[in-house]
Amino acid sequence: MDFFFHIGRYFTLLKRVFARPEKHKMYVRQLFHEIDTLGVNSVWIVIIISVFIGGIMTIQFAYSMSNPIYPKDLIGFGTRDTLILEFSSTMLALIMAGKIGSNITSEIGSMRVTKQIDSLEIMGVNSASYLILPKIVAVVLIFPFLFIMSVFFGILGGLVTGPLAGVVTVPEFLQGLKFAFVPYYITFSAIKSLVFGFLVASVPAYFGYYVQGGALEVGKASTKAVVNTNILVLFFDLILTRLLLT
Amino acid sequence: MIRLNNIHKSFDGNEVLKGISTVFEPGKTNLIIGRSGSGKTVLLKSICGLFEIDKGEIWYNDRDFTQITEKERKKMRQEIGMVFQGGALFDSINVEGNVRFPLDMFTNMTSVEKQKRVEFCLDHVNIEKKAFRLSPSEISGGMQKRVAIARAIALNPKYLFCDEPNSGLDPETATVIDKLIQALTKEFQMTTIINTHDMNSVIEIGESVLFISKGEKEWTGSKTEILSSGNQKLEDFIFANKLYAQMKGK
Ligand SMILES: Nc1ncnc2c1ncn2[C@@H]1O[C@H](COP(=O)(O)OP(=O)(O)OP(=O)(O)O)[C@@H](O)[C@H]1O
Ligand SMILES: [Mg+2]
Repeated sequence: MDFFFHIGRYFTLLKRVFARPEKHKMYVRQLFHEIDTLGVNSVWIVIIISVFIGGIMTIQFAYSMSNPIYPKDLIGFGTRDTLILEFSSTMLALIMAGKIGSNITSEIGSMRVTKQIDSLEIMGVNSASYLILPKIVAVVLIFPFLFIMSVFFGILGGLVTGPLAGVVTVPEFLQGLKFAFVPYYITFSAIKSLVFGFLVASVPAYFGYYVQGGALEVGKASTKAVVNTNILVLFFDLILTRLLLT
Repeated sequence: MIRLNNIHKSFDGNEVLKGISTVFEPGKTNLIIGRSGSGKTVLLKSICGLFEIDKGEIWYNDRDFTQITEKERKKMRQEIGMVFQGGALFDSINVEGNVRFPLDMFTNMTSVEKQKRVEFCLDHVNIEKKAFRLSPSEISGGMQKRVAIARAIALNPKYLFCDEPNSGLDPETATVIDKLIQALTKEFQMTTIINTHDMNSVIEIGESVLFISKGEKEWTGSKTEILSSGNQKLEDFIFANKLYAQMKGK
């Protein structure tokens, strides 16, 4: 019952979010602001996480394929495809739900409890659209970039860590990177990251927009938002994989 | 002028407003008083359309707010300025940005014109230039209220609504805010409605007072009549404060 209530209210909110903006100039200004706070500020964390995971994955692949019957090429190949297919799209979305998502919920939620949203409404501003639309557009725009960046830095991490750990040589790794490359995987994951971007912005925005109470409830809403976003990301991962990959 | 006719509002079967009718006149500070939980905020939010009422009419001069379209409502909202309990300033923008916000959103003024208007409004609420660039968290509660008032009058509204504008302030600052709202009301001939449970405000600026109790209108009158109303509920409310009980005794 609760579930259907939330679904219904989520779509009602989205309808208001995508209503015609009052003043385009103000929205564009917000959009750049959001790209800066939500996107640019996430670049470092994406780089750090991707380099580490790429490195760790390379070592683990090497370890599980230490039997000489496996060609060493498989290490670079495995690292590449795991990054593209799962890590840089899905896992990254889960991590970003924690960073960007909780940020969105707490920002909008505290605006709700301090009546800033009421202030917007009373002025005649569509608060849902003004506050949420720029965030959704910003996150959907930046997610594919973060995806590409994550793949790049993940591979770099493997390329540096593998040879340093002595589990694979640079030429072997590079050979593996080129092995059986399917360009469609990139398209597939880029599509996923667009969908995930939408979820990571809109679901936490929903939880923030309907907070009732005070600072404590804003905190609780953030947690709920992250958990629910994660579940939805995984659910859509399953659906999209089934639809687009098999 | 704002005229209410038989306003009803309930939340999930809990009837909060039980048929309130009254008139708020322009150029006057109209006070709504009552205990905590009596429905003051709900009434104010209903008048300005933040709550949809169940039954009744809300007349802004000759327009019934409950009958006009959403588009007309949006336009009308620009004639309304509101000061919320706590100020509700946008904490991501600085003081002058807060006052400029409605101008950015709803006018086609040039930036020079906007700056002039911002300075005019902030000057009217006695905010000094050096505070213009500070963020809301860097100014005192009293200043936040004044900036909120400046933002509310930025678009030159015909109607000004204030929900407990001086709650959480010391008595002296509270009086300053009250007087400020009254002065602005006179200067711009706004129809001003103020929610309060502060008897000091009533004595200072209660030109017209509506007392509500449990969602019902109990009494209307002015500050000069209030100490001798003869209404039991109103007396209980007023004389809960010992000071006024003594005044009555004299
Ligand atoms: N959004 C809401 N949903 C359900 N009930 C509400 C809502 N807002 C207010 N109420 C109920 O309406 C009643 C009146 O509340 P209101 O906020 O108007 O009181 P008030 O007179 O403004 O009190 P205070 O002086 O403390 O601000 C309360 O019983 C409250 O529980
Ligand atoms: Mg109230």
